Amino acid sequence: MTATQSTGWIGVSAPRREDALLIRGRGRFIADVSPAGALHLAVLRSPFAHARINGVDTSAAESLPGVHGVITADDLEGIGAFPTVWRLPGQKECHTPALAPGKARYVGEPVAAVIADSRYIAEDALDLIEVDYEVLDHVVDVEAALAEDAPVINEHMGDNVIIEYTFPGINALGVAGDLDGAFAEADEVITGRFRIGRYSGVPLETRGLVADWDDLRQTLTLHSESQVAHLLRTELAAALGIPETSIRILTPNIGGAFGNKWDRYPEDILVSLASMRLGRPVKWIEDRRESLQATVHGRQQLQEWQLAVRSDGALLGLKGRVLSDQGAHLHSVGIGPAWVTGAAAVNQYKIANYHCDVLGVATNKTPNSTFRGFGGPEAMFGIERMVDKAARKLGIDPAEIRRMNMIGADEFPYFSPGGAVYDSGNYPTALAKALEAVEYDRLREEQAALREQGVRRGIGIGSYIHVSGFGPSAILGMLDYYTGGYEGSTVKIDPHGRATLYTGMIPMGQGTETTLAQVAADHLEIDIANVRVVWGDTDQTPYTGFGSAGSRSNVAAVAVIKAIEEIKAKAVRIGAGLLEADPEDVAYGDGRISVKGAEEMRSLTLAEVAQQAYWGHKIPEGDQPGLEATYVYDPANFTTAYGTHVAVVDVDVQTGKIDWVKYVVVDDAGTIINPLLVEGQIHGALAQGLGGAILEEFVYDEETGQLLSSSLMDYLLPSFTDLPDFEIHHLETPSPHTEGGFKGMGEAGCFPAGAVVANAVTDALSDLGIEVDETPVTPARLWGLINAAGG
Amino acid sequence: MKPAVFSYSAPESIEEALGLLAEHGSEAKVLAGGQSLVPLLNFRLARPAHIVDINGIGELSYISSNGSLRLGALTRLTAVEESGDVSSGHPIITRAVSHIGHRAIRNRGTIGGSLAHNDPAAETPALLLALDSEVTARSAGGERTLSAQELVGDRFFETSLGDDELLTEIRIPALAASSGWGFQELSRRHGDFALAGVAAVVTMDGGAISSAALGAFGGAYAARLPEAEAALVGAEAGEAAFAAAGERAAAEFPTTSDVHGSEEYRRHLIGVLTGRALAEATSNTGGENG
Amino acid sequence: MAETITVVLDVNGVGKEISVEPRKTLADAIREDLGLTGTHLGCEHGVCGACTVLMDGEMVRSCLLFAVQGAGAEITTIEGIGDGGELHPMQRAFSEYHGLQCGFCTPGMILAGIDVLRRNPDPGPQEIREEMGGNICRCTGYQKIVESVQAAAAEMSKEGVSA
Ligand SMILES: Cc1cc2nc3c(=O)[nH]c(=O)nc-3n(C[C@H](O)[C@H](O)[C@H](O)COP(=O)(O)OP(=O)(O)OC[C@H]3O[C@@H](n4cnc5c(N)ncnc54)[C@H](O)[C@@H]3O)c2cc1C
Ligand code: FES
Ligand code: FES
Repeated sequence: MTATQSTGWIGVSAPRREDALLIRGRGRFIADVSPAGALHLAVLRSPFAHARINGVDTSAAESLPGVHGVITADDLEGIGAFPTVWRLPGQKECHTPALAPGKARYVGEPVAAVIADSRYIAEDALDLIEVDYEVLDHVVDVEAALAEDAPVINEHMGDNVIIEYTFPGINALGVAGDLDGAFAEADEVITGRFRIGRYSGVPLETRGLVADWDDLRQTLTLHSESQVAHLLRTELAAALGIPETSIRILTPNIGGAFGNKWDRYPEDILVSLASMRLGRPVKWIEDRRESLQATVHGRQQLQEWQLAVRSDGALLGLKGRVLSDQGAHLHSVGIGPAWVTGAAAVNQYKIANYHCDVLGVATNKTPNSTFRGFGGPEAMFGIERMVDKAARKLGIDPAEIRRMNMIGADEFPYFSPGGAVYDSGNYPTALAKALEAVEYDRLREEQAALREQGVRRGIGIGSYIHVSGFGPSAILGMLDYYTGGYEGSTVKIDPHGRATLYTGMIPMGQGTETTLAQVAADHLEIDIANVRVVWGDTDQTPYTGFGSAGSRSNVAAVAVIKAIEEIKAKAVRIGAGLLEADPEDVAYGDGRISVKGAEEMRSLTLAEVAQQAYWGHKIPEGDQPGLEATYVYDPANFTTAYGTHVAVVDVDVQTGKIDWVKYVVVDDAGTIINPLLVEGQIHGALAQGLGGAILEEFVYDEETGQLLSSSLMDYLLPSFTDLPDFEIHHLETPSPHTEGGFKGMGEAGCFPAGAVVANAVTDALSDLGIEVDETPVTPARLWGLINAAGG
Repeated sequence: MKPAVFSYSAPESIEEALGLLAEHGSEAKVLAGGQSLVPLLNFRLARPAHIVDINGIGELSYISSNGSLRLGALTRLTAVEESGDVSSGHPIITRAVSHIGHRAIRNRGTIGGSLAHNDPAAETPALLLALDSEVTARSAGGERTLSAQELVGDRFFETSLGDDELLTEIRIPALAASSGWGFQELSRRHGDFALAGVAAVVTMDGGAISSAALGAFGGAYAARLPEAEAALVGAEAGEAAFAAAGERAAAEFPTTSDVHGSEEYRRHLIGVLTGRALAEATSNTGGENG
Repeated sequence: MAETITVVLDVNGVGKEISVEPRKTLADAIREDLGLTGTHLGCEHGVCGACTVLMDGEMVRSCLLFAVQGAGAEITTIEGIGDGGELHPMQRAFSEYHGLQCGFCTPGMILAGIDVLRRNPDPGPQEIREEMGGNICRCTGYQKIVESVQAAAAEMSKEGVSA
């Protein structure tokens, strides 16, 4: 790359502008935000899974020197709670309160908050609060929660069923399948019952907040790591009962979010309220134990599927029931992830006949909400395990059964019976490429030879789709999702011809600042050094109701392109006047405004035009002075990223331990802005997918309702030696649904990982007849299966 | 996750430390490397009123060897791991210590702290049991010698040390020339506490095993496996003997369960790892300490 | 007010006297009393390595030490590596090879990477993975960190720099 460059910024691995501070330890994370005079808040959390709170005595805590105040549920008169933004028809309301009102429903639920001079003293004060708990029967298993005599967690609901939602198998064209016919025609009906483990994003940086209420100005400045600061502002204003115009949210560097920081949380209210009541800045940094107990969990589902297949391998029909273990309350997105599971479960296959019931079930556990993948990995687990089971039953190679049922490259747009429209792709090619990369045929031979020597090698395949780029907003409305799917971008050209771009996106490690600068530089045809990106200040950036998710920069990128198109058109109009040419004859190119055919002679730089635009001396009729534009882009439709993964593992049957041999990814995320960063995103998402496949799990004790995984000694994050080297290959099919052809790319890596591992391990143990239907596949769990099979 | 209030002293000699322990009694905790104690303090699972930080006591940190090995209690795990004196005479210790946590943990963690903490999933107590080690414990009132078994045997996260006692030295006898060793553990991740593990020392007489010592960890407490050991004496080294020993080991192992594995699974693992440790031990007898 | 103790902490070559409660961790003192916020806290129980600092040249967890224990030691944090304004080759390599995403683990990772090379200037990928296994990254999946450390090793041997 040359020192200055005006074109070709899309598709290059531009160095990240985020890095300069971070590698020096000069990033500014939430814990590094320390306004003078800040007080520290700590939260008292329920030690019980289910307990009535008959009284809270805070007197000893309040009289401890250094304590400035204690907040209990009684102090929340007039203060609201955050709503669930996804409110499906029939969904019973049980959203998360700011402080447990009269009853705690999970271990870790906030009961009171203390504000003190330091975190040390605040924790001393927590020890002094006496809560009169009356312990109630609890339920932590989703099936037990459905039992007739199960303790009812939210009394007003009558039982623990939050919602029962049906996917009737009508595709986006309104065409209904014939499920009964499919099952009647089937030669075999394959059944599967899958337990997908509870785990989550567990960002290395926990959550945190710094609230600073200015009593004279009546304004609240909130430093927050929310991935969707504007929506937080809107909902916080409503909860606190103050005008939204009084709230400014500033976003520091974020130490990982992975969806978990998309949600609104009780602490957002508590910390803000504490600052308002005390008139001092108040800081809260979640500690790791709190984080494991009280930052949302994800994934956990119990799925039951039936797949109708013909003996030639054709997949005729799929029906299923998904029990989503929601935890005690609905959090910001309700049962959204489980809804996505139902919508995506037919995956890449032409399964025309489909039916799925999705049940959201309350349990005495931490709320299950937003986590990278958002229901997609769960869907992929189900279908990819089912397809493997079918292959085994029918004696067809698992690669072949996939290939023969895949939607063809010429069948797009494809209207799936899950209700989604798939935009584009070449599924069989991705599969073929993955098989070629692992040398599939050779691997199978090698596997047989190794088996003779007592080495159990397994090969697992998993194909996936990732429906992303949620929009248009009208569709979200039809789905009862109460926020928009658009992204806005403001681009301002200064009088020196440099660009400042304002985005509602929030960089959380994906390099958004760099990729958006690349898009702007590419389309303005100027050097990237001349583009500045402003983010993380609700006073400056365009409203977004969707905010940053792993797969949103594609939508934001289009907003940037569209705003730049307007700027270029205006520059051409102004430039034409200055060049005394007809605007029709003037074009924008290479960062200049020139008369077509006379680029050498009659041409102005962007700076020259911008200067004129701000002088305002010669503005064409109908235009205003200045050179800036805002574009709010509402996607025309969803985009579907897709691909195939193949894992090769060795299994030690004596211990249940899995060793990696190889992991290959073939991925199509449409047009790629920055290949190095895309690779990084795939690696990271894959690491989280594999973490949940083999290590990570929130384990609850059935007897006590306690969360047993409440330290990082027990909740195991993958480290260096737990993951394989990844081999990544790309296809690039530009999406026809978005300008620029971008598809979401930040999450896809985690989609098939669980299924791929389960398929590989099942394959390694095929002679024992073991089916790996539960994640994570821990050594203990796997040995249990092996032992039961007499292996 | 901030510790509760405590008062603090940093003695510079053993005598001074013993005086402080005598003064504060059960209110005091010794702070060595802090790699187990400080997490407990941060979680407020331990709340001593007083901390006696022994890191300034230079005389507690040494490695000396004349066949048998003497380790000062405050010797850092990294120092043990990197010591030529240790690896030449007792390579099993070098290997076992390398399994403890990670480099940064071992840079602070001490051999005495690891033993005194007596985590049943830790390597050190079972290792020192298998090596027939003994320790010196001192208090203001005097000094006593305990076998590793007397110190940690049958105990879970505690030892037979009194509140006023300081562990000062660990002594490990020389290994016989005809002995071999094996060390096998399975953990969820590299550097984690073990799901289960076995340290084995065997002495050979030709192709037959003349004595065997097995220390197992990952159960309810660190334990020797006497039934398995007895079964090995006189047996011909080989698959059959190892399998028989493994079976007994599994049966006598004081198993336990937690989030990472059931009682049954751990019991089974001890059987498997006993076999593997014995195979390793009998293949490296006579100084081939791989 | 609980008892406080006065200590001099020598961090990155600068000595500063602070007065702290004995229970204050070294990590908190570095961050709050010295204002060096590059040392991060990810777990406060020794598992993640985000709080890694060098103490007398050895890598340690600053969340498992008390500030009062830092007296007399030479402590180096992320802010103290590199050569007067110049980046350390490890820092450059992390940026060039995309060894960081959110950057929260990065200060600890860079120090751990330097520590690995101090002991072996030319480690293979597997050795890097084993030696750095005590540091957790939630974003990268590690492969690019391994590549960064290898690249730094190559760069340092070319420049004749030792870690
Ligand atoms: C992430 C992580 C991973 C780990 N992994 C492992 C592992 O795989 N295997 C393993 O075995 N350990 C592991 N540990 C624990 C580590 O090995 C500890 O260092 C060790 O267990 C305790 O040694 P210490 O010197 O740090 O003791 P401290 O933490 O200082 O003390 C531990 C206990 O021993 C007492 N004590 C210490 N020294 C003496 C003495 N001389 N006399 C009397 N009492 C004393 C203390 O009062 C305290 O009760 C891990 C720790 C962490 C943080
Ligand atoms: S914060 Fe110290 S190791 Fe995690
Ligand atoms: S870069 Fe985010 S934790 Fe490592």
